Amino acid sequence: MSEDSTGLPLEGVRVLDLSWIIAGPTATRFLAMMGAEVIKVGSARRPDPSTRGAPFQAYNQSKLYAALNISRPEGFELAMRLVSVSDIVIENFAAGVIERLGLGYDALRQAKPDIIMLSSSGTGHSGPDKDYVAYGSLLQYYTGWNAISGNPNSEPIKGGLWADPWVGMELAMVAAAALNHRAVSGEGNYADFSMAEALTASIPEALLDYQMNDRVPEPMGNADQHHTPHNVYRCKGSDRWLAIAVTSNEEWQALCAVIGRPDLSEDTILADAHGRRDQVQRIGAAITEWTQQHEDYEAMRILQVAGISATPYLSPDRVFTDPQLREGGYFTTRTASDGNRRDLPALGWRFEGGPEPRIMAAPVLGQHNDYVYGELLGLSKEEVAKYMDDQIIY
Amino acid sequence: MTEGMLHGVRVLELGEGVSAPYCGKTLANLGAEVIKIESPQGDISRAMGPFPGDIPHQEKSGVFLALNANKYGVTLDVETEEGAESFRNLARTADIIVESMPVGWLDERQLGYSALADGHPALTMTSLSPFGTWGPYAGYKLTDLTLFHMSGQAHSLLGPVSDPDSQPPIRAGGHQAELVAGMSAATATLMALFRTRISGKGCHIEASAYEAMATQLVSALASCAFDRPPPSRSLSEVQEAATGGVVSAVGGILPCSDGYVAISPREDAQWQRWVELMDNPQWADEERFLTRDGRESNFTELWDLVGEWTKHRSKHEIARMGQERRIPCFPVNTVHDLFNDPHLKKREFFTTIEHPIAGALQYPGVPYRFSNTPLPLTERPAPMLGQHNDIYLREVSRQ
Repeated sequence: MSEDSTGLPLEGVRVLDLSWIIAGPTATRFLAMMGAEVIKVGSARRPDPSTRGAPFQAYNQSKLYAALNISRPEGFELAMRLVSVSDIVIENFAAGVIERLGLGYDALRQAKPDIIMLSSSGTGHSGPDKDYVAYGSLLQYYTGWNAISGNPNSEPIKGGLWADPWVGMELAMVAAAALNHRAVSGEGNYADFSMAEALTASIPEALLDYQMNDRVPEPMGNADQHHTPHNVYRCKGSDRWLAIAVTSNEEWQALCAVIGRPDLSEDTILADAHGRRDQVQRIGAAITEWTQQHEDYEAMRILQVAGISATPYLSPDRVFTDPQLREGGYFTTRTASDGNRRDLPALGWRFEGGPEPRIMAAPVLGQHNDYVYGELLGLSKEEVAKYMDDQIIY
Repeated sequence: MTEGMLHGVRVLELGEGVSAPYCGKTLANLGAEVIKIESPQGDISRAMGPFPGDIPHQEKSGVFLALNANKYGVTLDVETEEGAESFRNLARTADIIVESMPVGWLDERQLGYSALADGHPALTMTSLSPFGTWGPYAGYKLTDLTLFHMSGQAHSLLGPVSDPDSQPPIRAGGHQAELVAGMSAATATLMALFRTRISGKGCHIEASAYEAMATQLVSALASCAFDRPPPSRSLSEVQEAATGGVVSAVGGILPCSDGYVAISPREDAQWQRWVELMDNPQWADEERFLTRDGRESNFTELWDLVGEWTKHRSKHEIARMGQERRIPCFPVNTVHDLFNDPHLKKREFFTTIEHPIAGALQYPGVPYRFSNTPLPLTERPAPMLGQHNDIYLREVSRQ
């Protein structure tokens, strides 16, 4: 779309986004907010399953959205024309699906020799289990990720929604790496991405402990191998907790001063982390006596001023209203496709002196058909109308 | 000689622990020349372990070894004038600096972005801090524990509990929140580097670990923005929400003869195939289990019944049978299982690196393979303290 220069790093990069649900759209959200022109392509015949939920509105911020039925020959032709004017194509279908659609890397390379193609699937695109059908929540169990979390000697945890957003960010990083490589070498690339490996790659300490000590690591709740106190403590109110991580003896002394316990401060048994670890119950009781008298945010401020890392446990609704994000400008209000003003999240970084990330409300299917097919591919109004009637642009 | 995606890019890494080194590691995996700058005492992750025999040794810490493989290492005391001068000289040769010193620390020593980019406009500096330089909590401290709890992820990690006031939320194991902060910084850095290649101009990235983790939560934040906040951690509230259609998708883990299996036959067709796999038990014909909504509303009873079937079989057997029928179904693997997994073996996911003191160890590789560009994942083990002072400090002292 023609617009004045934003100075954003990916300005001038066009992304054909064939991905859906969470991980792929999360990746292209990063690219779109950093200035790339992301054209999400989907069909009413088989809509993005995430469409009906609110999260879709965040995953697809700042993108264009064109309708296209790729399973029809004319739709496939249009897709290839879009490939020929794109820098990156991304998809996250089950392994093998994109090749069956005729849109594998070899085909894309014919249309655009230096194309960068990112393919993400549950277990990657090679190996005996490549065809395994997957959901992110199951992969968290499969990969050992969930196994290192939980309370000792308890049932495995549920694990929350971690795999997809984590993979989405890493995919965006891979896209940026491939763009850098192309800028220097002139070459494109096909990137085969495995969601499962992204999770296993993030538990190196467990993998190394197993090799070094022939030990399958047990989950430790909030505890740390070395540091004590290192837990959450009850505050005033229901399900309110303060997380405290004391990582040095100086912080321990500061904590004792704040909670008014000179007896603990002077107890030589507790002077180092090793001694404190053996007295974790006693220390926990002393801290809770203090935290229970405080609101969680208030307790955070008191302890942080004393140089101790302490934060409230926040549920998502409280993250949404958190002063750091609100006063720090993390949210931007835009009119969403439902006509209401909504607060949309940003990314985890700023550029000193600008530019600001591009933040637009998520589009609806077909919203940018005119731009994509008219302006970009040069189809006439009549041609577009005919494709729509024939349920090709659909 | 493998070149990687970032061949010829020189990175200085000034920051210890997990987040900034993970950013540096990501760039090193892609082929950048990453020079890790440690204080003479060494990175704190050298004390984190795990250690062989649980005996601390600064060259044998698992976290340090994993986060710093494929980097070079020098020791500099940037607090001294001589160390600061070496850092300035190294900065002149660098494309990228990744740092996580306390906010303002480098500026106070005339080593901040404006000082280093003076005469070196293509320099990109990524400053990673807990909360950035803005907002009411700028300057506050975060660890993996406190970052994880503050950023909403602990809400759903454990799963719903019967009494939230006596069953505290927990963080994920390892250093997951800090890895998110590091990956976010790497993503920003590579996007900025791409811009530099076109414009010739660098920039200063200010990355916030907290906002990186908030970004990991955008799904729930969007639900809040659209007036549909997730239910509390209380089991009764979650069940109520499920009945009201808020939480969906039948799935989770079930006990097996040798551990657990994770399955999610959530769609009607998947459920049909799963019932066939179980040899069509009579209870599957009950009215309440016939529709997707019914199965979601009666999930607890349903899951107990399925568990009766799974508990006599092994996790790998069930997963294989399920996947043969295109049902999302996986064994719950331990680390022992992972090292013996034929799929990961075939994909050469684990990489063996020989370290002069810690010995040969298998490290997790990366989840991506590039068709045209192999990655230099096993170029060198994590540096011993000061190992490359000879190369780099001599190089800058000649300037």
